[in-house]
Amino acid sequence: MIDIKNVTKRFGKLTAVDSVSLTAREGEAVSLLGMNGAGKSTLLKCVLGLLDFTGDITINGLSVRGGSKQAKALIGYLPQEPVFYDMRAIEVVRFFGRIRRAGPGECEAVLEKAGLSSHSQKYASELSGGMRQRLSFAVALLSSPRYLLLDEPTSNLDAGGRTDFLRLIKEYKEEGNTVIFSSHRLGEVDYLADRAVVMRNGKIVFDGEPENLRRISGAGTKVSVRVPEGDMTRAEEALARAGIAVRSRNGSGLVIDAEEGGAAVPVTVLAETGVPVLGFGVEEPTMESILEGAGGNGS
Amino acid sequence: MEARNVLMLAGREARESVKNKWFVLNTISFSALAVLILAIAPEKGALTEGAGYGRTAASLINLVLLFVPLVSLITGSGAISGERENGTLQYLLSHPVTKAEVFAGKFVGIFIPICLSISLGFGLAGVGAALRGGGGDASGFLMTALLSALLAASLLSVGLLVSVYSRKASRATGIAVFLWLVFIILGDLGVMGTAAAMDLGIRQVFVLALLNPAEVFKIASVLALSPRYEILGPVGVYAVRTFGREGMVLLLMSIMALWTIAPFGLALASFSVFRREEP
Repeated sequence: MIDIKNVTKRFGKLTAVDSVSLTAREGEAVSLLGMNGAGKSTLLKCVLGLLDFTGDITINGLSVRGGSKQAKALIGYLPQEPVFYDMRAIEVVRFFGRIRRAGPGECEAVLEKAGLSSHSQKYASELSGGMRQRLSFAVALLSSPRYLLLDEPTSNLDAGGRTDFLRLIKEYKEEGNTVIFSSHRLGEVDYLADRAVVMRNGKIVFDGEPENLRRISGAGTKVSVRVPEGDMTRAEEALARAGIAVRSRNGSGLVIDAEEGGAAVPVTVLAETGVPVLGFGVEEPTMESILEGAGGNGS
Repeated sequence: MEARNVLMLAGREARESVKNKWFVLNTISFSALAVLILAIAPEKGALTEGAGYGRTAASLINLVLLFVPLVSLITGSGAISGERENGTLQYLLSHPVTKAEVFAGKFVGIFIPICLSISLGFGLAGVGAALRGGGGDASGFLMTALLSALLAASLLSVGLLVSVYSRKASRATGIAVFLWLVFIILGDLGVMGTAAAMDLGIRQVFVLALLNPAEVFKIASVLALSPRYEILGPVGVYAVRTFGREGMVLLLMSIMALWTIAPFGLALASFSVFRREEP
């Protein structure tokens, strides 16, 4: 269990993390959300003991203060921008494998798990941003840590790479391990997180299930429907009869707040009542709109 | 602090040093000049007479004074600041190692290649001297090599201290070059100038000279090589008459050891206790 109690971190006059308390239980995936400067990365660095702080952070009862080796041995860390020594990928993993006392054959195994076996002889500087992220993930998996701290793990990845990478993290989590990750992407939170924690100006402003975050923020899915101008009133009446409120009206378009998983319902209602639907679009809520609604917009 | 971690980190640092083109260039230059000086130096020198190890070592003193402090100061100054600047230090510290282990690993990992570099220069020169018939005092030759290693250790410690307090590697290198100028180029002039301006006595001039590790190396090497300590001037005569020749060598070696331990301790404490954060 990672237990963060009343942690405050100041850089001069700036309070980057302000009286934060948070517990990540065994097997739980916790996402840290917030705009840039909200304090997510600083909090992760405090957990690693890289920064001094007031308050208390323990990992399985071990204090991380002063960069405790015992505590750090329990954690695998993936930084936002991984930087390596000028070594081949396999040498990087072997170097950190010796530090983390990895077992025989483990270095090759983690490289394979991260999908880098065929690139093991390349120098780290020759790898793409995505591959460096994978290399960092391979290093983080050495000696099978129970806790992973990931600082915006997919920020350097393209869409395909992101999907593969998230699957790897999910597999790790499903083995009963604990993951704390910071992210800007709603899809990652939905896919991975059991809990969402929203930070704003160094404070936690929301801590709960990702579904509740959407609900509390009030930022839901919007459906835009285009109907003939002459049928606008009839369309509004049909939707009202079905209990669907129209948010706004614009020329021949209607914007409707859809229920979770019910984006197609307004279109079906209109089709059943004979109102021709000329076109429609679905707009998922953005991370910004959710954070704004949850009080994490940083403003 | 675990010796296993220190040696592992030192191994990586040493490999990095050996791969460093600047370091390799310095080693080649030092070795080549050592052989060249041996080849062109006159048979009879100021310190020693006849071809042999003593004359070879005497020829190497100025070469050591030029190269060893420069390599030690610059390599040391970039060791921590460079890693801090490119982010590898923070990543390394996110793993189960302590800052003290990282620091000690860096010292050992840089010091060993510098010693190898010194050994190569002295080794080639020694072989050259042997080919020309050998002779002379081999122990003085070895003592000069040992003193060169001590000089490297002391200035490496100073370089690491600079590195601990520098956010940027370029700034650290600038400070290291400035210190090299102060220790090597301005050292003699500074002592002479201060002595003349402040009308210092022999004792004060001697103490002033001891404040510079390069001066200490020079005096110790000359004493180790030649019984004619008069060539050190009135200050040398005063020092040898006060402490004795062996006593002086011992005192000078102790001062060089202190020049290693004090900056090393200060840098280690600063790095791992007073400046614990690597944000």
